[in-house]
Amino acid sequence: MQRMLSRRGFLKVMAMTAALFSSWGKAALAAGSKLKPWLAPSLPYKSVKVGNVADLTVNKPVTFNYPDANTPAVLVKLGKPALGGVGPQNDIVAFSGVCTHMGCPIQYQGERFVCRCHYSMFDPAKAGQTYQGLASTWLPQITLTVDKKGDIYATAVNGLIWGRAKNI
Amino acid sequence: MSILPRFDQVPLPPTSATEYNTVCQFCNVGCGYKVYVWPVGEQGGLKADENAFKVDFTKPQAVLKGQSYTEAMHSTTVGKDGREYNIVIVPATNSPINQGNYSYRGGSNALTMWSLDRGTQDRLTYPLLRVGDQFQAITWDDALALMAGIIKGIRDRDKNDDNIAVKCYDHGGSGAGFEDNYGAGKLFFTALSVKHIAIHNRPAYNSEVWGSRERGVHELNYDYSDARLADTVVLWGANSYETATILYTQHILENIQGSTVAEKKKVFDKDEPAEAGYLIVIDPRKTSSYTVAEAAAKNRVLLLQPNFGTDYILANAIARVVWERGYYDKAYLEARTDMKLFEDYKKKSLKLDVKYDEFMAQAERITGVPKAQIEQAADWIAKPKGNKFKRRTLTIYEKGIIWNMKNYDQVAALVQLAVLTHNIGRPGTGCGRQGGHQEGYVRPPSPTPGSIYNGGPPVNVDKFLTSGKGKFYWVIANDPYLSTPNNQIFRKRIHERTKKLTRAIGESGEPSTTQGRIDAILKALYADPDALFMVVQDIYMTETARDAHLVLPAAGWGEANETSINCNSRLLRLYEKFMDPPGEAKPDWEIFKLVGEEIAKLYRAEKKNDVAAKFEFGKNWKTDEDVFLAGSEEFADNQVSEEDEAKLEAENYKGVTYAFLKQVGQEGIRTPVRLDPKTKKLVGTLRRYTVKFGTADGKFKWYGTDDWEGYPAEVAKYLEGNKAKEYPFWVTTGRVQHLWQSTYHDRQLPERVITHPLPYAEINPEDAKKLNIESGDLIEIFNEEGNAIYMAYVTDAVKPGSIFMVMYHWRGTSNSLTTGYTDPKTTIPWYKGTRANVRKVAGAIPFIKQTASFLQQNKFS
Ligand code: SF4
Ligand code: FES
Repeated sequence: MQRMLSRRGFLKVMAMTAALFSSWGKAALAAGSKLKPWLAPSLPYKSVKVGNVADLTVNKPVTFNYPDANTPAVLVKLGKPALGGVGPQNDIVAFSGVCTHMGCPIQYQGERFVCRCHYSMFDPAKAGQTYQGLASTWLPQITLTVDKKGDIYATAVNGLIWGRAKNI
Repeated sequence: MSILPRFDQVPLPPTSATEYNTVCQFCNVGCGYKVYVWPVGEQGGLKADENAFKVDFTKPQAVLKGQSYTEAMHSTTVGKDGREYNIVIVPATNSPINQGNYSYRGGSNALTMWSLDRGTQDRLTYPLLRVGDQFQAITWDDALALMAGIIKGIRDRDKNDDNIAVKCYDHGGSGAGFEDNYGAGKLFFTALSVKHIAIHNRPAYNSEVWGSRERGVHELNYDYSDARLADTVVLWGANSYETATILYTQHILENIQGSTVAEKKKVFDKDEPAEAGYLIVIDPRKTSSYTVAEAAAKNRVLLLQPNFGTDYILANAIARVVWERGYYDKAYLEARTDMKLFEDYKKKSLKLDVKYDEFMAQAERITGVPKAQIEQAADWIAKPKGNKFKRRTLTIYEKGIIWNMKNYDQVAALVQLAVLTHNIGRPGTGCGRQGGHQEGYVRPPSPTPGSIYNGGPPVNVDKFLTSGKGKFYWVIANDPYLSTPNNQIFRKRIHERTKKLTRAIGESGEPSTTQGRIDAILKALYADPDALFMVVQDIYMTETARDAHLVLPAAGWGEANETSINCNSRLLRLYEKFMDPPGEAKPDWEIFKLVGEEIAKLYRAEKKNDVAAKFEFGKNWKTDEDVFLAGSEEFADNQVSEEDEAKLEAENYKGVTYAFLKQVGQEGIRTPVRLDPKTKKLVGTLRRYTVKFGTADGKFKWYGTDDWEGYPAEVAKYLEGNKAKEYPFWVTTGRVQHLWQSTYHDRQLPERVITHPLPYAEINPEDAKKLNIESGDLIEIFNEEGNAIYMAYVTDAVKPGSIFMVMYHWRGTSNSLTTGYTDPKTTIPWYKGTRANVRKVAGAIPFIKQTASFLQQNKFS
């Protein structure tokens, strides 16, 4: 994404894609699908403050724990709009810090998450998709909300954290 | 919001779930998997005694050691009883091959199963008949009658089967195995005698490695443990991180990171040095197999990037260094190899009558690889350790060598380098294929010839068809509209020819009875010799199927019992059936049997009982195991001593039953299987050619490779005069981590469609800058063979002046640009090299730019 879209243009595309995604996401599961009860977020996640928009620097990840005190997660401002991004530039995202392949910790390494165990790589700007490596499942993305003061809250985990049958 | 349906909990299989053993449906590695099936509505508990995994899920699993069970490993399906079932498919922790590990592809095995929840609901479920421009449902009875009527009609008129052309897989895995291969063999070679048969990924019926087999070395000769024991692993034209992922991460990577030193010490000779291994990657691209190793063990990895088509010259140059430096064992060569033929090798391959410096200068000029690197590679491959111990090198090659120019000489050069350095038949050594898929070949002898040295080369069936020959074309479980070379012409001609038949039988109103149809089709086929009848037998509507007249629904992986071997260890296991095929789909072997029986009926009606009997080959095949056991009759007597394993067929499994395979489970048994003359027990073969090679006298047969003769006319035309300017790029092609073969499943899975929405082509940043191209832009790649619109992917994986095209994608194939050249010795195409030009078509499609990742795939640090 070298040539950034103008902010207005971007918002338009975001709205368009948001509409598409939500319908796509649902359409991908048939109407009577028995998978529905497990569709994220299906669990009672707590809302936890994880930072403030003003404190974040582009490409300086901040680690926190979510959805419980022992589970690493990473908050990062990418400096470019991201799917599911919040903040004035829609560029703040958060992901589970646990590799979906076999549970190793992932590292943020300029634009990307890399797992050093078998070198899976995930794109934080594109919903944590595995763009290289072994992880069949994308990195779970943490839903963020921002209040008027710029405080950022984690409110849910989209995707299963490795090693569990349910996130909480 | 998420693009995909994401789950934050998954149902655990209850203790009542049925458990099955299987092997991944995808690549050559053959990772073990466990399957659990139980009715929707039930669910196991978190405690270890409450779920079928017997794993405690009240706390998170131990990193790297626990049972992986991710969102992608669960799905639902509908059984023939009309009930909905959960299916869970997880990597087997008790498999020696993967030890609980899994790749992106195998981790999604569950998502590819037929399910009403997902795109896989598009599976073919009943036979389809083309009526004008529509496909309409018909019964199996009618479909079989149509097949039989047309095949017999052609035989009756021609008195031979030469107008019947077939394109059929010959492999295991991916829903095929010994059973299906044997069914195909009996119909096409015993009942019929089909000469115009081609294998799934190439235009003829040939081995991709005659250059090795004719030396006495079958291409599957090592064990996965050799990748852990080797002092040096060479990946030659094999991007194993992406195409044999678990062999690479679980074994090769662990070796070069030093985690297998203790295992080496156990196996190596007394006082023999054992340390972390080295890796040599030989590829025109800077592949991830190199850059991962670079990130993991920087000083233990070497990258050689030869010019296109020059690998055999490079292999001979390394061998010459070995010769000059004395890194060979004369006693071994004399005892185990044909020294008369060795003279030929010395003269033509090592060129001992050319002075070393002159020879090396020539090699450097042709291959583009600096002399110092060639010498370093020779040291890593063969320099004795502590001056006394032979180095142990495992060479794994794949399509970069096989689908290179001069297939025969390329393969021969590699295996000869391995034998020269005694790097075959010892722990930590071997020289063999990585493999693409798994294997499962057992057939009666075919009516097709061998290489040019054995009555060949075989007929190019593509050219047979595009030149207007043949009347009946049966395509089984492969997609030549993506996979065959010179694809644009192939598609155009098959389309034209099938259309001619469609027009002839149905300009307005087609005959309404099956017999009426058979008569009309036969009449049309003989009235217009260019008309062609096409049948596609597959699990989905493929690209090729769009021009078919009849489409037959086949069963896939997990929908029938099957057996295959993997490539790294020839490990034979049972892949258990765990669900029903959708609708009326049937296993391939059963389709072959039924077609045979239907043809037999026609002969019986004419009282030609002896001919009919040949077509009733499957009359005793009630179960998959019946076919498996019938197939084993084709193999040689395997009651032989350990050293005579070299004489057995690589896949010989005589004496093995399903019960035996159930007993051994994930441990399997390595082919060739022997019935030990002393113990009368079945034993596997860990590693081949320890004592003898697979030739009549047991000696390795040397071969003097051809000189460098430049490029074949089909490509050379692009290197001269104006065309050199018009088509300034070298083009290579290949597979990538996330797309499996002809992408038949991948296109059904939203996560793959998002990440790889279009086929992409790698282009170097320097070239991209000149052409004003960014990642994601639409580009057209074109030459005189064809055109393809791809998505640009800017990366230093390719050198300036060359591009890499993803091989098969549902939105385009790199084969539109490949030439019709095949090696005159083997009829194997050069899929991996041609020339082309590139132009920018437009910027990225906004939706794709928004959703697909363009981060560099070979950049790990
Ligand atoms: S490495 Fe190959 S066999 Fe193993 S899980 Fe992946 S695709 Fe399947
Ligand atoms: S645990 Fe992260 S790639 Fe394997």
